[in-house]
Amino acid sequence: MDYFLTIIILVSLFIILAASFDLIIGYCGLISIAHPIFYAIGAYTSAMLAKEAGVPVPVAMLIGALAALVSSIVVALPSLRVSGDYLLIASIGFQLGLIELAKHFHEIGGAGGLTNIPPFLIREVGREAYALLVVVVALLTVWFVRWMATGPYGRMMSALRDDELAFSMLGRNAIWVKVSVFAIGSGIAGFAGALYAHYFRFIEPDQFGLLASSAVLTMVVVGGMRTTWGPVLGAIVLQTLPQAITFFGLPPSVLGPLQGIMFTGLVLVFMFLRPQGLIAASDLWRGRQEGARHD
Amino acid sequence: MTDVLKIRDLNKSFGGIVVANNIDLDLRAGRVLGLIGPNGAGKTSLFNLVTGVVKPDSGSITLNGDAIDALPIYQRARRGLARTWQNLRLFPSLSVLDNVLLGPRDYPGEKLQSLIFDARGVARRQAENTEKAHRVLQRTGLGAVAHSRVQDIPYGQQKLVGVARALMNDARCLLLDEPMAGVEGQAYAAIQRVVRDIAESGVAVCVVEHNVAFVRDLCDEGVFMFAGKVLARGSVTELIADPRLTELYFGT
Ligand SMILES: Nc1ncnc2c1ncn2[C@@H]1O[C@H](COP(=O)(O)OP(=O)(O)OP(=O)(O)O)[C@@H](O)[C@H]1O
Ligand SMILES: [Mg+2]
Repeated sequence: MDYFLTIIILVSLFIILAASFDLIIGYCGLISIAHPIFYAIGAYTSAMLAKEAGVPVPVAMLIGALAALVSSIVVALPSLRVSGDYLLIASIGFQLGLIELAKHFHEIGGAGGLTNIPPFLIREVGREAYALLVVVVALLTVWFVRWMATGPYGRMMSALRDDELAFSMLGRNAIWVKVSVFAIGSGIAGFAGALYAHYFRFIEPDQFGLLASSAVLTMVVVGGMRTTWGPVLGAIVLQTLPQAITFFGLPPSVLGPLQGIMFTGLVLVFMFLRPQGLIAASDLWRGRQEGARHD
Repeated sequence: MTDVLKIRDLNKSFGGIVVANNIDLDLRAGRVLGLIGPNGAGKTSLFNLVTGVVKPDSGSITLNGDAIDALPIYQRARRGLARTWQNLRLFPSLSVLDNVLLGPRDYPGEKLQSLIFDARGVARRQAENTEKAHRVLQRTGLGAVAHSRVQDIPYGQQKLVGVARALMNDARCLLLDEPMAGVEGQAYAAIQRVVRDIAESGVAVCVVEHNVAFVRDLCDEGVFMFAGKVLARGSVTELIADPRLTELYFGT
């Protein structure tokens, strides 16, 4: 039973990550793969606040999300002011740099990881309650991304993706839109990280590196970018598949690389055979107020 | 008659190519100025300099008396500067109506906090803009294609979408880059009528156009550009009758 609850929690966490990443890379067209670092910032901030400062876990989680949001602005603002292309480089540099840095900080557990993170809900109510919480947050994230994508922001993001110069000439602030979307998506990832930390109670820097980046990217690409259910489907398929492999009882030294190869392989297969992913997005934007036609 | 846009001593060169050579130019409220000159004269470059797409080497630009030189593109637009593009630059992922809905200076919901704390206000302004957009689409003869994709309508109508999108700005100054190129029939008459109407409502309009008949019928005045220089300003009939200019225009 605990095993299934853990799978449900992991799948839900990846749904949160994939859906919020789709907002950034799919809807807004911002090229960055550093999403897991904001997951890490949320996880570490919340874990440290609860463990060392005795901050109540729900408060620590919210501060964790806020920390991810703020640091994403710090990364995105300077690079997006120069040009969109710099975001990829700046964010990967930030991701790998911060991971290396974390490995050398013994106060946060160093390379060995941070242990004994205070749990939340599990002891008082039970694992089921925690699983329910994570599922609800996942559904809220999916709903929120859809709400953003079909509202006034969705129209702006589509136009911005199509032609940034024409978009600016209409009086729209392209940098503001990009930084806002990047920050919101990253903040959500930070909250997911906090949810991870207080359930598994152990985090280590290497969890949040390029393997995690490729996993989240694969989920969005395979599931279907710019669709409501694509990232959900991608997260379910790609989170359960590696779990299935573990049943073969392969040693961990083989399992990790195998999963990496699987992700890369899947992205390649999909790029050639079904670039739109399992669920294809419409190439014409539709707002949710479509009922209110005046013709 | 008030000057809406004032350009003074504007200079710009790309490597060896001079696209603006000491340009002084004023656009007046309610008047249509035709900008003519051969290919490569610097007409589009002048629009790019005015709108902030390209930074000048020197010179100054004022809009309604305020210097706009230091402002980014979007802030110039918010002060009432609108333009169309020689190569359209429409948004292919959006319907005609949604292309046009992005045009107002103040876009409801652009500020995230208003989406959350003033959802009603955003919805109300959005509805007002939708009504306005439908009026603009009717006016430009696009009413029937409001919900079409921009790439599915004829080229002439696509040009009109660019104009309609710019009209949503309620601009003080409107720059049209070759609105007639590739346009014939109904769209031709529609563009001519719309530009006239806009000018009559007090907007300063500048039109770049190779179609001489169109410029002559529409514009109150013309300016002849060559190699980044304004060579002459006067009535369009005079300009096209000047043998020196026609020689430059058609090349020798
Ligand atoms: N960003 C740029 N970098 C380098 N050269 C440029 C740039 N923009 C324009 N030019 C050059 O400047 C010159 C003027 O171009 P511009 O587009 O302003 O001409 P135009 O008068 O609009 O011509 P046309 O009637 O063909 O549209 C051309 O030689 C063009 O190649
Ligand atoms: Mg041109």
